[in-house]
Amino acid sequence: MTSNTCSCRTYVLMIACLTISSFALRVALRPRSDLSGLPVALAPASNTPEVIEAFTLAAEKAGLRTGMRLSEALATCPTLVLLEQDPASVADVWEAILHQLEEAGFEVEPLEHGCVLFDTAPVEPLAGGLEQALERAMAAVDSRWQPSLGVAARRFAAVAAASVTVPGRILVVDDADTALFLEPLPLHLLPLSQERREEFAALGIQRLGELACLPRASVADRFGSDADQAWLCARSEDRARVVPRQPSVDLVESIEFPDPVANSSTLEHSLARLIDLLLARPDRKGRALRKVALSARLVSGGSWRRALTLREPSADPTVLRVALTPRLSELPAPALDLKIKIDELTEWQGVQEELLSVRGKRLQEKLREGLRQVRTSVGRYAVCTVVEIAPWSRIPENRAILVPRDD
Amino acid sequence: MVPDSRKPSDSRSARRLNAPRPVGVTALRGRPTMVGGVSVEAIREEWRVADQWWTSAPVRRQYFDLVLETGKHVVVFLDVERDAWFTQRA
Repeated sequence: MTSNTCSCRTYVLMIACLTISSFALRVALRPRSDLSGLPVALAPASNTPEVIEAFTLAAEKAGLRTGMRLSEALATCPTLVLLEQDPASVADVWEAILHQLEEAGFEVEPLEHGCVLFDTAPVEPLAGGLEQALERAMAAVDSRWQPSLGVAARRFAAVAAASVTVPGRILVVDDADTALFLEPLPLHLLPLSQERREEFAALGIQRLGELACLPRASVADRFGSDADQAWLCARSEDRARVVPRQPSVDLVESIEFPDPVANSSTLEHSLARLIDLLLARPDRKGRALRKVALSARLVSGGSWRRALTLREPSADPTVLRVALTPRLSELPAPALDLKIKIDELTEWQGVQEELLSVRGKRLQEKLREGLRQVRTSVGRYAVCTVVEIAPWSRIPENRAILVPRDD
Repeated sequence: MVPDSRKPSDSRSARRLNAPRPVGVTALRGRPTMVGGVSVEAIREEWRVADQWWTSAPVRRQYFDLVLETGKHVVVFLDVERDAWFTQRA
């Protein structure tokens, strides 16, 4: 690996990947300085498998491993402190970091909380070269997060470089050395399902180099398109570039409750009020909502957050209420507050309505086309009709059946 | 062509609507106190269903319409024949 500077490299568009390891855990630990140096792990979220994913160094020294069951972890380390998940703070802190990078001139593509990609090319002329641009990116992020920066000519190589480099350091992989760099790295860096990884492991394929030397046609034939994509990544032949996100909007409305609230009708009324306030904001400039996030601080500690992408962008309060209200039932504990945030707005203001309402044959054609699209998306027999067979029955499941439609 | 054996089976057959789903219930003297780890705030209604007693698969259920601590409404029933709890939209 060499230091990659403008003066000695052939000009290659470089992709940078900035990662902050154990981001969710570190956000949850921020207000808990009393836990410094102790074995701490992030408790599994509700409705997820009870396994430990993120823990401190002290917990690792005590014997914890990623994917360990919660009961096993507590038995291994009886002094283990479990911290509640705080997805609302994680999203807020991550948004602030992305905003700092954008302020520094980088167009970012966030992959997940704690991992973001960006092209260095637009900033290089301003900063005076690649190294200066990378230093600018590192300086944009608060040093206490100790971000790792991996830089390469390909997306996957950049992500892999960021994954293996030491926190607080920059690793630049020269284009000519990328294959050599990837060869000894473990297979789990590839974007593959657990099932696929186990299949590869059963065949003795543990390293990226071992996958890369297999014939592409055989890999695609045996494992399908996701493995084919992984094969391209392992050989550093993935061609995808960075797709920058739309500039974020900062439209938030929140309400604090005097007492913790679990009552569904109070929550629904509060949500309706927040939606009305949000839609009345002049800085929305009449644009429709594409992505919305609902979050709450919980009385049990931690927080709850649900992000929703609307099937069709809308600024209709009824549509938003219908889309968001069912999410409130997923609240795992009484809420101390409720917050709604617009994650993405449309670029346009008006909606092109049809002049005449569709009827008769044209309506049938539109319905048929809609059904065809649903079948293509979720399966041939996914569209069903409810057929009543014994509506008088006292046993609810005997009253009606679902029969797949053929038309 | 040989069909792919890993694909899910043909789902063309009819399915029951509103089939009961097993749920973890803690009960005290036959009345639910916790559902899926969440405390029961109130029992709104309670009723019994006994049917098909003339067949080899009789149905005997004790239904409860509950309000949970989180404000959520759920309907659960105790299948007396199998001594197991289920949730269902009644």
